[in-house]
Amino acid sequence: MDVPILSLLILIPLVGALVTLFMGGERAGKAKFVAAVFSAITLVLAVYVMTVDDLSTLTENYTWIQVGALTMNIIFAIDGLSILMVFLTALLVLLAVVFSWGEEDRPNYYHALLLAMEVGLMGVYMAQDYFLFYIMWEVTLIPMYFMISWYGGPRRHYSAIKFFIYTHVASVIMLIGIFALVFSTTYGDFSFAAVSAAAAGAPLSEAMQTFIFGLLFFGFAVKMPVPPFHTWLPDAHVEAPTAGSVLLAGVMLKMGSYGIIRVCLDDNIFNLAMANWQMVIVVLGVIAMVYGAYACIAQNDLKKMVAYSSISHMGLVLVGIGCMSVIGTEFAIFQMFAHGIISGVLFMVCGFAGHSFGTRDMRLLGGLAGKFPMFALFMMFSFMASLGLPGLMGFVAEFGLLYGFWEFLSANGLEVLIVFGPLYMMLTAGYYLWAMQKTLFGKLTDKIDLEHSHDLAKYEVVAIAVLCVFMAVFGIMPSIATDFIMPYAGIIGGLF
Amino acid sequence: MFADLTTSIVDALGEVTYILPEIILMIAVLIAPLLYMFNKTGKAVAAVSLVLVIVSALVTFIFLDAGLEGEAFGIFQFDAFSGLMMLLFLAVAALTILISPGHVETTKHKGEYYMLLCGAVAGMMFVASASNLIAIFVGVELVSIFSYALVSLKKNDPRAAEASVKYLIIGGFSSALTLYGMSMIYGTTGSLDLYGADGIISAVQVMSGNWAFVIGCVGLIAGYGFKIAAVPFHAWAPDVYEGASTPVSGFLAVASKKMGFVVLFKIFVVMFVAAKTGVFAESFQYVFAIIAAITMTVGNVVAISQSNIKRMLAYSSIAQAGYILIALAVMSQYAVMGGLFHMFTHVVMKGGAFIIVAALISAGLGETMDDYRGLAKRAPFIAAAMMIFLFSLAGIPPLAGFTSKFILFSGAIVDPATGAVTMQWIWLAFIAVLNSAISLYYYARVVKAMYIEKGKSEEPVKVGKAFLVAIVLCLVGVIVLGVYPTPLLELCEVAADALFALV
Repeated sequence: MDVPILSLLILIPLVGALVTLFMGGERAGKAKFVAAVFSAITLVLAVYVMTVDDLSTLTENYTWIQVGALTMNIIFAIDGLSILMVFLTALLVLLAVVFSWGEEDRPNYYHALLLAMEVGLMGVYMAQDYFLFYIMWEVTLIPMYFMISWYGGPRRHYSAIKFFIYTHVASVIMLIGIFALVFSTTYGDFSFAAVSAAAAGAPLSEAMQTFIFGLLFFGFAVKMPVPPFHTWLPDAHVEAPTAGSVLLAGVMLKMGSYGIIRVCLDDNIFNLAMANWQMVIVVLGVIAMVYGAYACIAQNDLKKMVAYSSISHMGLVLVGIGCMSVIGTEFAIFQMFAHGIISGVLFMVCGFAGHSFGTRDMRLLGGLAGKFPMFALFMMFSFMASLGLPGLMGFVAEFGLLYGFWEFLSANGLEVLIVFGPLYMMLTAGYYLWAMQKTLFGKLTDKIDLEHSHDLAKYEVVAIAVLCVFMAVFGIMPSIATDFIMPYAGIIGGLF
Repeated sequence: MFADLTTSIVDALGEVTYILPEIILMIAVLIAPLLYMFNKTGKAVAAVSLVLVIVSALVTFIFLDAGLEGEAFGIFQFDAFSGLMMLLFLAVAALTILISPGHVETTKHKGEYYMLLCGAVAGMMFVASASNLIAIFVGVELVSIFSYALVSLKKNDPRAAEASVKYLIIGGFSSALTLYGMSMIYGTTGSLDLYGADGIISAVQVMSGNWAFVIGCVGLIAGYGFKIAAVPFHAWAPDVYEGASTPVSGFLAVASKKMGFVVLFKIFVVMFVAAKTGVFAESFQYVFAIIAAITMTVGNVVAISQSNIKRMLAYSSIAQAGYILIALAVMSQYAVMGGLFHMFTHVVMKGGAFIIVAALISAGLGETMDDYRGLAKRAPFIAAAMMIFLFSLAGIPPLAGFTSKFILFSGAIVDPATGAVTMQWIWLAFIAVLNSAISLYYYARVVKAMYIEKGKSEEPVKVGKAFLVAIVLCLVGVIVLGVYPTPLLELCEVAADALFALV
């Protein structure tokens, strides 16, 4: 096997981004075809990767910077943690392109930005070198900034710059953590494996571990985002165009939880720090899931509600991570995947409402089910999936995570705190049902311009339906995904 | 590769070899006014100066590649460090000369302009190779006097006159401080030579607690602090950069500042690393660390409120000087390597930004934020290049500014002796990265103005070919140094080694 598949997963979107970028003028309208082709090829490759038996054979390693003690190499690898994220990225980018088929405002730049984001995201999920990882982490920022500030809503400039600065500050603090980690273990070799091995050979002091863990965790937590560092997210989501929101919620937030699992849960490095931070992580996770759900109830803007629900669902992921057990880690990863798929649909549906009805304000909507059946169908489907209807993938993830949470609580004699689990589920069911009732049922609204409103277009139905099929498939047969995760979660979980 | 060639040059010229690059540039200084008598357009003068700069750079590169080391007349020393710094100054000179003929602000006195420019660069190169306090002082004065004149050459602009007078007075003040400091150091150590058995560094170890020596050092830090525009010696910089013609401001911001750093590296790093056994080296490290922290913070915070792009770039230059000062605070080989590398990346990114400002002024645009509104529509390439330079300055990967900041800031965390993490300077690294994040705000504001806001005019902006060439060169530099920094980083490593070998 000589074809560098993993490099191609980055290079193909990169080439696609450059090609679409220069399709100015007359040809701008064709950019969507080019973007679709390039993202489809990427998806095919990502699916191919999932059929490979031994993922470690795909690892690629290129020499990059070697000066003195500094060693920074380009290392790409895929394992049970990253494979679903890589697939999710490829899938959502393609569907975002399809969903935005009708975009007519500078479509060449629009698609170039989508593909550029794919480059960064793929890089984050496949990089095995801290330097490369950080670069890719930052590369995702700039396309998102332009995505929001060019194609966003009325307050887009404010939101874009807030998103940019907020997450950049978090990244640079994470960078200090990377410095401290690398220079206290390998003295200059930035590869994940080398750092891990060196730390296993000569463990860091507990104070040092706790300190570095904190720096890295802060960087990841802002991205997830965990309250109280979440305020950039609702703004960014509300103003971002639909495709931007889909990628932001679907895969960019996962960078945070991915980073925590990948770096902070490395037992070789942080064997002592993990216990110190475990409670903080769980508490932050519980706060995120309950506070996020509670904030949803207060929202009138559909998209803002979904944004807060992302905070809530990512809080659940954080709880799973904080359990530091096989089951917790396994379902944290599964929830990342599930939330990626479900939130994709949620944002597509809510974004569509904004386009079609001219408003996403639930106070102005009502009784739309009769007039816009497709919209109503998919809205109900995705809301149900998100609130954890059995049979759909959201349920599997929630079930597993709450089980892990219970296991953790009972091991620590804190059983009573499980009350936060049902509380979260009730709140979630509450805001989704209430939102559906206000938007879809009751008397048909007269506050919007129904003449010019329309139901989902064909390409929008395609994009949404594909994701809905995935929700059902993974809901009934979660083992398709967990088979990938389990070997990895076993390694992680086996350490505890 | 060039070892044989170098040997034969040494055989033929003897000691003069070690200052050959400077001499080649002095030829340009001498013939530039003469040439101008025969060719009034100034194009020929520019071409000849450019050729001589390139020849000088080639010679320097050949020497560097051959690993040449030696001393001329007891006061100039060519080694990997001075050679690399000469290349830096020559690169800036080449870029400045390249864009000068097409720039509208450039004076009528074209002959003198190139003479002054080449003279200033020759002075910087002398400073880079000087190993004696008086040689350093004379070299710095050479640069200063030529640059006062360069600033005032911009015709019909009272701002230029004001800038030049301000520059002259502040410069005179800093020279006086420097000289006073040198006299103290000479008085206490009995030597003007920096290195060697009779040099200042051999005397440093017994100087601990000697107040006259400490005052001498403070005088030098203050004097050269003016040159690098470190806070609190920075107040002149924004006015001068704003007042001077843009190629000259770029030249001053990028090259003249680096000369100050070269001097500080040559004197303090070597001296205090030698004095590690003495107690007082550490207190000076803290002096540098505090100056670094204040400089980068003031530079970045004040830059936020600027609406004139040149002033904003001036303050961002101050901030960048603060970053490079980290190398002086940490004084490890690794940090110095990072500092040197950042000096190079600063040339391409800040130089590139200044070139774009100059190009747009020539094309009839102003220099305020308002004039940049909607630039992306009027000049897509220029706007994209500007965005890349600014993002590089902010330290966004995978551009040059990120790579160099990465190495420079990590230098604050690494203990020179063991290579392990040290907690001593980690606060400085924190301040540096947070500053780096703050700086993103004002750089992004320019990007926002260019790409997102609507301008008053939609008319395309035409930019001269020479500007485009210079911009492309800087752009290539920013991207290549960001993605593949190894070759230059290796040179910086060798240069840092050479500097530490002097101890």
